[in-house]
Amino acid sequence: MNIKKLGKLALPYLVWMLVLVGIPLLMIFILSFMNTDGVSFAGATWTTAAWEKMFTLADTTNLQILGYTFLTAFVATVICFLIGYPMAYIVARSPFSNKFVILILTIIPMWSNSLLRNVALKNILSESNILDSLLSRIGLSFSIVFANQDQATFISIVIGLVLTFLPFMILPIYTVIEKIDESLLEASMDLGANRVRTFAKVTFPLSMKGVTTGIIMVFLPCFSGFAIQKLLSSGTVYVLGSLIEVNYIHDINFVSMLSIVILVLIFGSMMIVNKVDKEGATLV
Amino acid sequence: MKIMSYWGSVNGRGRSMAKKLIELKDITKMYDGTAVVDHINLYINENEFITLLGPSGCGKTTTLRMIGGFEKPDSGEVVMNGAVVNDIPPYERPINTVFQRYALFPHLNVYDNIAFGLRNQKVPKAEIAERVENALKMVSLPNFALRKVANLSGGQMQRVAIARAIVNKPKILLLDEPLAALDLKLRQNMQYELKEMQRKLGITFVYVTHDQEEALTMSDTIVVMKDGVIQQIGTPTGIYNEPKNRFVARFIGESNILDGVYVRQNLVSFMGAEFDCVDTQFADGEPVDVVIRPEDLDIIDAVGAKLIGEVSSSIFRGVHFELCVMVQGKEFVIHTYENRKVGEHVGLRVDSYEIHLMKVEHVEH
Repeated sequence: MNIKKLGKLALPYLVWMLVLVGIPLLMIFILSFMNTDGVSFAGATWTTAAWEKMFTLADTTNLQILGYTFLTAFVATVICFLIGYPMAYIVARSPFSNKFVILILTIIPMWSNSLLRNVALKNILSESNILDSLLSRIGLSFSIVFANQDQATFISIVIGLVLTFLPFMILPIYTVIEKIDESLLEASMDLGANRVRTFAKVTFPLSMKGVTTGIIMVFLPCFSGFAIQKLLSSGTVYVLGSLIEVNYIHDINFVSMLSIVILVLIFGSMMIVNKVDKEGATLV
Repeated sequence: MKIMSYWGSVNGRGRSMAKKLIELKDITKMYDGTAVVDHINLYINENEFITLLGPSGCGKTTTLRMIGGFEKPDSGEVVMNGAVVNDIPPYERPINTVFQRYALFPHLNVYDNIAFGLRNQKVPKAEIAERVENALKMVSLPNFALRKVANLSGGQMQRVAIARAIVNKPKILLLDEPLAALDLKLRQNMQYELKEMQRKLGITFVYVTHDQEEALTMSDTIVVMKDGVIQQIGTPTGIYNEPKNRFVARFIGESNILDGVYVRQNLVSFMGAEFDCVDTQFADGEPVDVVIRPEDLDIIDAVGAKLIGEVSSSIFRGVHFELCVMVQGKEFVIHTYENRKVGEHVGLRVDSYEIHLMKVEHVEH
């Protein structure tokens, strides 16, 4: 009955969204199909050059970059999940009265400045590192040996991404597990499911929403960022984000196209979330 | 209303002779240094509808949870079919539970909720389908199999929770205030249906409630608890007619409780008068608590009556009037079909067999 009134209340927000999100997005979309001189439509022509530059088989450099970006983001996300889920689960199911504080204590180190942390990480992963110089004073040594430079770069990037984005995996999963009603687990055991089966049939399905949120919160920044990758590879590796960084001044059309690619990915993930969310609409 | 009083003793004898399914032996459970359940002893028979009744915090739910295996007693033994089951986890006990807030799995539909237990037992698919369908019929929810749990009403969730438990054909069904969240009409229907279901299935029901009316309506045996201690075990009529102490008398139905003295065999004195009575197990001159139910007091002419007072209030309760009569500064509650005006002087009469005497407990007041 109040739908109409509420609709009116939403109007300012809709205008706001249209001006600040809708129109700029449309502009980016249009720009990706044009040949312009910077952000200006003077003398602009329609062309699919930007898209061809990305999705051409003649020169697969950009496609390889896309693939490499995806691979690092994917591996980092999987590792974040493998570390984050048990951590969130253990804390949420622990008998402590103030679990959130315990959780914060475990993730506070990850809230220190990400740039500094990754510089330190780069140092530790390099041949002559700070740990080695400390340990050498008592006659020990420490250095991580990689098979080759490519491997070293890949592993460094993944470790950097995991260290940076792990909290974004832990927090949503923790929140969801913490909210699961204890009586549901009791009901499951009452109905003959042992602890392992109760986890598989009740706890895990009920925590799916947190898992999906966590995956998106980790995967998206891993996929679209470039600073960590640039730092840890000493600028030798290009990811999608670096392409934008390098090109945004002189090739606005190419950069627009890249944004659209990332956007499509974001919307794709949102749709996955919505789907899972509908299935567990009563969870949270 | 003591017409059926002989039933109590007959059933009592019959009860101890039936087959014992569960025994609680000297069970104690502590929380933060306080005993929630304090050295209780109780047995539950096969096919019995037993109700643990008491105010909140009396330990009834904790007792139920120890039978279900969700809590371990700190001392004492839970015995099932002759074996101690203290350390057996819930998933290995032949028991199912209907939880207070139903605890239906929100990520599963009605069918999958009910099939949950059968799937854990690796029952063949075809049999699961058949048993789930039967269970849904039993709780009058046919065609509900594919519904989302979130879209059910409270009463429907309640029925699904019952179906989810009985579909496993447990030996014992535990029910933790299952009707507490339902409205009055629905609750009364469900009371009747639960009793019917228990009779048909031949399952032992252990029912927890704080609602004395519910307990009286459904149970074969009522266990009245307070502060972790069992106050009285008996049939509904037995407990109503012969409460053991003030607490039980007040908790089960309304009562007028008076201080009296057992003068001699079949004679008790209270409110400055002497009355014939039928209770005999007291010493001459022993102080006693006298219980008279509101429906057992009759209003008569003030002239010549042993108890004379003034009507202080009158409330119409539908079937009867609830009168309050002040007698020598003590308020009597009386249920009567005839209304009296406030301020009117009336006499009160009570038949000898409707005067119930209880031992005075010094701890209790």
